[in-house]
Amino acid sequence: MESLIINEVKGSPYYPAVSFNAETGVCEMRGESYMEETYKFYEPLIGWINTYILQKKPLEMHFKLTYFNTNSSRLILDILDIFNKYHESGGSVNVYWYYDKKDPDMVEEIEDFMAESGMEIKMIPF
Amino acid sequence: MPIIKEEYQQNCLLTYQGPITVNLVSFLGNYIKSFIEYDTKVLVRLFKIYIELTQNVSYYSSEKQQVKNGVNCGVGWFTIQESDDSFRITTGNRILKSDGKKLTQYCNEINQLNEEELRDLKRKTRAQAMVRDVGAHIGLIQTSLTSGSQLDFKIDPVDRLHSFFTISTKVMKQ
Repeated sequence: MESLIINEVKGSPYYPAVSFNAETGVCEMRGESYMEETYKFYEPLIGWINTYILQKKPLEMHFKLTYFNTNSSRLILDILDIFNKYHESGGSVNVYWYYDKKDPDMVEEIEDFMAESGMEIKMIPF
Repeated sequence: MPIIKEEYQQNCLLTYQGPITVNLVSFLGNYIKSFIEYDTKVLVRLFKIYIELTQNVSYYSSEKQQVKNGVNCGVGWFTIQESDDSFRITTGNRILKSDGKKLTQYCNEINQLNEEELRDLKRKTRAQAMVRDVGAHIGLIQTSLTSGSQLDFKIDPVDRLHSFFTISTKVMKQ
C-alpha cells in the first residue's frame, strides 16, 4: 500500500494538504477546505482509509484544518464515522484536532463532530 | 440581473456582480482576511459566512454562466458593508420560482431557533445530507449559527418561472 500525499497549491488554497503515511499510519490534513465538487477530493481519501484499516494497523489522524465549509464537514464526518467503527471493532485509532484560539467557533464544531460520530477527538489549541 | 439596490451599497467595503467561481471566492476571501482591519475573531466569522453565502450563489443560482475550461457556475452578486456596530454580508441571485417556498421555510425556521436548537438542526441536517450535494439548507443554518443574527431575506418576482433571492446577515463587532 502506498502513502497518499497531496501537496498544497498556492493558487488553490481551498484544497487542504494531505499526508497519509501507509508505513506509520500517521495521517494529516492541513489548511482550508472549500473546493467545488467536494466529494471528488474526499473520495480517494476515504478509499485510502478504508483500505488501510483492513490491515488492522494503528492509525493516528491529525486534523490541522483552519476552515472547512459545510460540504466538507459532511465528508469529514464520514471519515470520523469510519474511525469510530474501526475503534469499536478493536482497531487502534487516535484523532487530534489542532485549532486556532482566535477562532471563536472551532471548539463547538469539533464537539459537534464528536457528538455526531461518537469518535473521541483530542483538541489541541495553538 | 437586477442592479444592486442602494441600501446594500452604502458604506460598502466590497462588492461583486457576475459569475462566482471558487477561485474568485478564494481570492476575495483572502482580501477579507488580509485587508479589512478589525479583530481577528470578527474577521474569521465574516470569512466563514462569506464563503457559505457566496458558494450558495455559485452552486444554486438558476442563472449560470460558462467560465474557463467549460465550467458552469452560478451568477449573482454580493456586498460587504460596514457600520458602527457590525459588518453586513448580502448576496443576491436568481432562483426558480418553485424553490421560493422551500427557501422561505428554511429561513423562517432558522430565524425562530436559538443557538442550541440550531446546532441540533445542523447535526440532523448534516446526517441526512447527500455526499454529492449537501444542499443550501445546511449552509443557511451554519450562516445563522456563525453570525448569531437573523437571516434577513426577501424573494422578489422576476418572470413566470423565476424569482430573485436576496439574503443578508450581520457579524457584530463585539
